[in-house]
Amino acid sequence: MKRSRRGAALRHVRLQQVLAIAAIATAVALPVVLLSVGGGVSAHELSNLQNAGYQIVLSAAGDHGILAAHNLTHRLLALASVAAVSPVLSVSLDAYGNSSTPTPVLAEGVIPGEFLATLGPAEAGLFPSPLPLGDPSDSIHFENGSYTGPAIDDVLVSSPFAQANRVAAGASLVLSPAANRSLGVRFNVTGTFGVPPTALGPTGAFAVLVPLSDLQVLSGLATGSHGVTDAADSVEVAVSGSVTTNPTALESIRNEIQSLYPFYGVTSLEQEAQQLQSASSVLTGFYLALSSVGLAVGLLFLALVQVRRVESDRRSIGIRRALGLPATWIAGGLMADGLVVAGAGALAGVVGGYLLVEGLAKWSSAAVQEAARLAVFVPVTLSLLVLAVLALSVLASVAAVRAALRVEITEALR
Amino acid sequence: MSGSRSPHLELRQVERFYHAGRPEEVRALRGIDLDIPPGEFVSVEGPSGCGKTTLLNVVGLLDSPTAGEVRWDGRPVGQRTDRERARMRLQGVGFIFQRFYLLPTLTARENVELPMRALSVPRAERSRRAAELLDEVGLSSRADAFPHQLSGGEEQRVAVARALANRPGILLADEPTGELDSANAEAALDLIERVRRDRDATLILVTHNPDVARRARRHLAMRDGRISADQREA
Ligand SMILES: Nc1ncnc2c1ncn2[C@@H]1O[C@H](COP(=O)(O)OP(=O)(O)O)[C@@H](O)[C@H]1O
Ligand SMILES: [Mg+2]
Repeated sequence: MKRSRRGAALRHVRLQQVLAIAAIATAVALPVVLLSVGGGVSAHELSNLQNAGYQIVLSAAGDHGILAAHNLTHRLLALASVAAVSPVLSVSLDAYGNSSTPTPVLAEGVIPGEFLATLGPAEAGLFPSPLPLGDPSDSIHFENGSYTGPAIDDVLVSSPFAQANRVAAGASLVLSPAANRSLGVRFNVTGTFGVPPTALGPTGAFAVLVPLSDLQVLSGLATGSHGVTDAADSVEVAVSGSVTTNPTALESIRNEIQSLYPFYGVTSLEQEAQQLQSASSVLTGFYLALSSVGLAVGLLFLALVQVRRVESDRRSIGIRRALGLPATWIAGGLMADGLVVAGAGALAGVVGGYLLVEGLAKWSSAAVQEAARLAVFVPVTLSLLVLAVLALSVLASVAAVRAALRVEITEALR
Repeated sequence: MSGSRSPHLELRQVERFYHAGRPEEVRALRGIDLDIPPGEFVSVEGPSGCGKTTLLNVVGLLDSPTAGEVRWDGRPVGQRTDRERARMRLQGVGFIFQRFYLLPTLTARENVELPMRALSVPRAERSRRAAELLDEVGLSSRADAFPHQLSGGEEQRVAVARALANRPGILLADEPTGELDSANAEAALDLIERVRRDRDATLILVTHNPDVARRARRHLAMRDGRISADQREA
């Protein structure tokens, strides 16, 4: 009788402790996942921004909203500290390779020499350098805005496109405005380029790179009813050497460009990075707030378990006090038990959170996998988390310790 | 370390009321005057509820009187802090309870070592003494058993060994044989009497069994919180 009752009581206490460990582990796993994935994604985006190769970008609302792109390029290139200026026009086209059915492609019209100079190191590595497009400054066909010069009609194709359509350098490709084959122009394929792995951003796997003026003529964006249109979607501006790393100098160039073109949006990536950083620190704060709710619940549960233990251990506590064991022993023992439970829970939470992120990176929807792969586990953050849980567990044990020290010896022994 | 010698115990007009001043007030001790010289063996008899346990608790510093004074060697103990009183219990008092009160999660040996650990007795010394004490109570072979693996008689012998661990000058036994059959009770009493004699400790033994009381040299009888008789044998 007596035997089984005591055994059951011990098992009961152990079960409560296991539950408390599980509660704390759950509470800790939440911030581990949120902080590692959230931090990883924003760090990734930040590094994308910082490695862009250009520092300032002009944009206009609406389709192909930047006008007189070549002219604008030359004026910007004339500014001090500006190293390269690359207007980019993006248009969907139909491509006819070896078959008569069209393949939709994303065509990027660029000034070849400027385009490479505004790429970040990672992207630049995907392209042959210099670009094997016959008119590096895109001035021949453009001919000062009259588009009367000879078109060279060279095209670079992405390697997935090249593979899928079995085209290689030396082949030719007809590009036409979507669903309008009669306007098609035959281009010479002069090479291929790689496509970056899709990391949280849409990238056209089927993309082609052509000179800006060729694309403008092909898609009717060279001239309009009011004369020369010379349209582009955005203009990327790379500044020279030391200015790249000097936010103040960068800002003054941005201001200068903005005053030249008050009707376009002119943003520096530095600004965007700051915005991204402040947005991500707001998110981090939010994650922490969310997590502290979870942690508070876990620790309240620990406090409850500790108080319940004191209640069920009243007799033992009374015996210890009757023998004359110091109260600090009893308090210390409870605190130590709390620390062990909290420590086990925190470690299990860190490991569990890590495994959860690993699992998400393997077995979840593509977008979630993508994000989970970017997760970064910062040892300092994780250690701080564990330390915070340990420190808070001491608080969680306070109520239990007070209850233990209030146990009336003679009452407990009656 | 030779253990503490027995103090001279004095109680002066000691009262202990539970829930004092409330309707449910219980007057467990009502004006106790008592002198117990060092080394005396005193039995306390009386009907259930007359205050015997309360008296032991007050003498052994587990409880404080509502009024009156308890003195050890002439010094009032009432003003001592909880911490000091715990220390005095640890060093000076060995309790033997009717229900043994071993700690269920510790083995017999660990139960005996516990009071020594609290006094920071070095590990080797501690385990040597625990082995000695367990040997003395005839339980060497059961040292690693947990209380629930022991019989009642064995548990009480462990409790006696634990009470002796720090060589206290005062042994307080509250109906130590109440839960034992007569053979085990006899053995436990023999043991308690023997260890008292060997150590020359003061022993206050609460019982309501006249046969048990007869072993003492001095006999107190209690009634309604008062001492109704106090006889010393020649
Ligand atoms: N903690 C307590 N609270 C209230 N009443 C108590 C308490 N302890 C003992 N009593 C009461 O005090 C009286 C004396 O108790 P006790 O000293 O245990 O008697 P005995 O040991 O002689 O049986 C009894 O009436 C008992 O019910
Ligand atoms: Mg009693």
